[in-house]
Amino acid sequence: MDPKPMTDTVIHTQLAVIGSGMAGMAAAIFARNRGITTVQVGRTSEMSFASGCLDLFSTLPGHPPRVFADPFEGIAALVKARPKHPYAHVTQDQIRNGFQEFTRFMAQAGICFHGPDRDVNQQMITPAGTLKPTWQVPAAMIAGARAVAENQRIGLVDIQGLKGFGARQMAQTLKTKLPGITGATIAFPGRETAGDLMYERLAWDLETPAVMDRFIQRLRPHADPVEVLGLPAVLSLYRFEAQRRVLEQALGRPVFEIPTLSPSVTGMRMKEAFLGKPGGTGHHHFPVAVSGITRDRDGFGFLVTRGQEPVEIRARYLILATGRFLGQGLGVTADRITERLFNLPVTQPSGRAGWLCRDFFDPEGHPVNRAGIETDGFFRPLDAAGSVFDSRMYAAGSILAHQDWKREKSGSGIAIASAFRTVSHLTSS
Amino acid sequence: METQALIIGGGTTGTGIARDLALRGISCILIDKKDINAGASGANHGLLHSGARYILKDSETAVECRQESLLLKRLAPHCMEDTGGLFVALPEDDDTYIARFPELCRTCGIDCQPVDAAQALHMEPCLAPDVKAVFAVRDAVVDPFSLSLDNAADAQANGTRILRNARVEGFISHKGRIQAARIRDTRTGDTFQIEACQYINATGAWADKVAAMAGAHISMLYSKGSLLITQSRINTRVINRLRPAADADILVPGGTVSIIGTTSLEIDNLDDIRPTMDEVDTIIQQGAVMVPALATTRYIRAYAGVRPLVKNGGDAGRAVSRNYTLKDHESEGLENFVTITGGKLTTYRLMAEKTADIVARRLNNRHPCRTADLPLPSSSKGAWTEPGKAPRSRAARAQSPGPSSGNTLICECEMVSESMVDRIVDSLKAEGRPPALTEVGQRSRIGKGPCQGTFCSFRLAAYLYRTGDLSGDQGLSQIREFVNERWKGLMPLVRDRELVRMELQESFLCGLFNMDADGWTPNP
Repeated sequence: MDPKPMTDTVIHTQLAVIGSGMAGMAAAIFARNRGITTVQVGRTSEMSFASGCLDLFSTLPGHPPRVFADPFEGIAALVKARPKHPYAHVTQDQIRNGFQEFTRFMAQAGICFHGPDRDVNQQMITPAGTLKPTWQVPAAMIAGARAVAENQRIGLVDIQGLKGFGARQMAQTLKTKLPGITGATIAFPGRETAGDLMYERLAWDLETPAVMDRFIQRLRPHADPVEVLGLPAVLSLYRFEAQRRVLEQALGRPVFEIPTLSPSVTGMRMKEAFLGKPGGTGHHHFPVAVSGITRDRDGFGFLVTRGQEPVEIRARYLILATGRFLGQGLGVTADRITERLFNLPVTQPSGRAGWLCRDFFDPEGHPVNRAGIETDGFFRPLDAAGSVFDSRMYAAGSILAHQDWKREKSGSGIAIASAFRTVSHLTSS
Repeated sequence: METQALIIGGGTTGTGIARDLALRGISCILIDKKDINAGASGANHGLLHSGARYILKDSETAVECRQESLLLKRLAPHCMEDTGGLFVALPEDDDTYIARFPELCRTCGIDCQPVDAAQALHMEPCLAPDVKAVFAVRDAVVDPFSLSLDNAADAQANGTRILRNARVEGFISHKGRIQAARIRDTRTGDTFQIEACQYINATGAWADKVAAMAGAHISMLYSKGSLLITQSRINTRVINRLRPAADADILVPGGTVSIIGTTSLEIDNLDDIRPTMDEVDTIIQQGAVMVPALATTRYIRAYAGVRPLVKNGGDAGRAVSRNYTLKDHESEGLENFVTITGGKLTTYRLMAEKTADIVARRLNNRHPCRTADLPLPSSSKGAWTEPGKAPRSRAARAQSPGPSSGNTLICECEMVSESMVDRIVDSLKAEGRPPALTEVGQRSRIGKGPCQGTFCSFRLAAYLYRTGDLSGDQGLSQIREFVNERWKGLMPLVRDRELVRMELQESFLCGLFNMDADGWTPNP
């Protein structure tokens, strides 16, 4: 007996990916490459916070934290210390293959990632004047990572009125690690007296060659004494590589971008590459939140809207990549952490009093951040009895329990590796 | 350093004493181990009591509150919002007390008008619909930061020196006379001495410890009170629960927010004063009985202060008098040391006057107190602490044409601009010390909006590097300090929405900026 369709428009698909953050994106890419018909839902706003680099792993939280130069060595120690960590369910080869497939897709869409020469994390300069270990760095930022590795004379330049990015602050803070670094401020051509500058305006202005020429003239005195120049990411969302080459040629030295505090342009570019045309995954994508997903013997069903029109989605398999609190994969009901779509059991501290550390920066990490859903070795969520909840359902990314991606610097890595494992498994079944 | 009077403690009382003495022509140095209003003066309701709350247990305080609140409304109107207040009784509240309330108010001379329940609901739609008795009183709201900063500014204008981050470590005495105080600069670790003729202990909850250094004894009880700030303003007037004082029975509006509190929890350690999750839950639960919206509204932050209560017998907690304690310590053989503690924000001026009287007499200064008749001048220092004030003034300025340079917003939630920060930094530097992020935060609304410092702490640091007021790598530790100060107020509130905010903040600070692990070198 067929269930009565809820609307006129029904899309039958093999896979539904719930979530459009890093894990949902990765899952959609892997599904596309395997010819799996896919419908993806979820808002993509969280990508505006992504750094644009792909982290794998660097830090094992604790007192003191253990920082690993080699992420795979770190993962081995991590899995030993936390045997239920998501990385315990994937092999080194699966991680490498996942990254390779993901970055190959991104390269076709216009963002070229550079991995390290050896298995050693690269160091990215952040707007806080810190160094952040990461694995894959986009071309827009690679000259910065190389300059740090080779201890070159780096010049940082900020723009008057563009907030959350202070070249002097960054240079002075980094000086102990990079003695040759300097910082300076320029006024943006044509916007010398403006109060608050918005990124979009600047990127748009720089599309005009005359503005670009004056921008270059103002950068030149700060570029001349240094080997490499770092700027806030203000180049176009789409033509950023061509624009950067113009800068590099005119200034005669490598130029790199650093993501601003918010929005993070380098993260937005990844989102555009993923959704954009040409490129993109070619899947149906509905940028809406879903609720009320039903399950029956044929799979999963739910409603989305396209414009005003309701569309029913029927999917054989489902990947839950709804994220944590920000992504609304997890929530709180009566002081217990709950999973929002299927009410899956959530592993968590015994009470609210045990969620948090008194020191925000406690190197152990807040226990609430390791709360999440339990899965089997193929990332299939478990029910309260510890059995697979539904053999056609998987979970990927930060909703998984036993990880603390912010402290481990493992967000992209967990997203990509779990999505890769998940899609590989459902393809084989 | 030498001075006639050394005032220890930069709260409302200490700054009030500094102004009072300075107006009598007495040279003063005011020191605080942290900053102006870093203790209970900066962690209270900001309520200018009509006195009605104390009519039952403490009629003397009630009368003083009535007199002083009327005086302050006249002399420092720029620090006030004359909202008026209501006392409201709910079905479970004691009818005997309700019946006695107007008479007790009358005895203390406190203006108290009965209000029809339906009329009260019209005046304050947030009230529980089942209020059974309501009285209107003359409560008002005071911004304790602007009050203390303006007192400090007027004291400085009259020759007072102010030193932040200066902690007393001991006194050098000879035959009952203190000759010098040993001070440590808590930022640099340096020590130095201040020689004064008179030493004034206005250290609030720390009064017993400072007195002990001078060889004097005070028996104190530390009563922690916690409060919650709502994201938006819920009420127009101050709303008091009409019952003998208990937890969470006052809701005070202030600018664009409302503040509900307090609790009264006896503690024995002053080292780490912060609100707990239990207190937060109690406040919300109790407060919602009177104002149901408190159960569902969004809270920005919790905070806690310690009431410095002086024990005069076996009473505990709320039973201990809210009246102030002024000790000249002469019976203990000390001739140039005085302690003022306890009391209320509302009566700070009176406390300062009584203390200054003793000090002036000892210094043979015959000038009378001027603070009861001279208006408190408004200073630019205290101008930017009130919620909602900066956006209003910005909107007013936007009406007039002019260059927008300097108007770049550092704090977007509370609309604090670079030019406001300039003025705050200038006033901090005029005190001879470089500005710290937390100090700029204390003097403005930076970090007090919904983002709780995630973005603005970085913007502020970046700006201060640009102006040359920060250097080296001190910015990072100052941002950590700033964030942890805000975290203290957010942590006990964390539930659904706060976890979202926290996740965003931690994604930036730890996930993106690596501030948790930066500085740790990789394993070999």
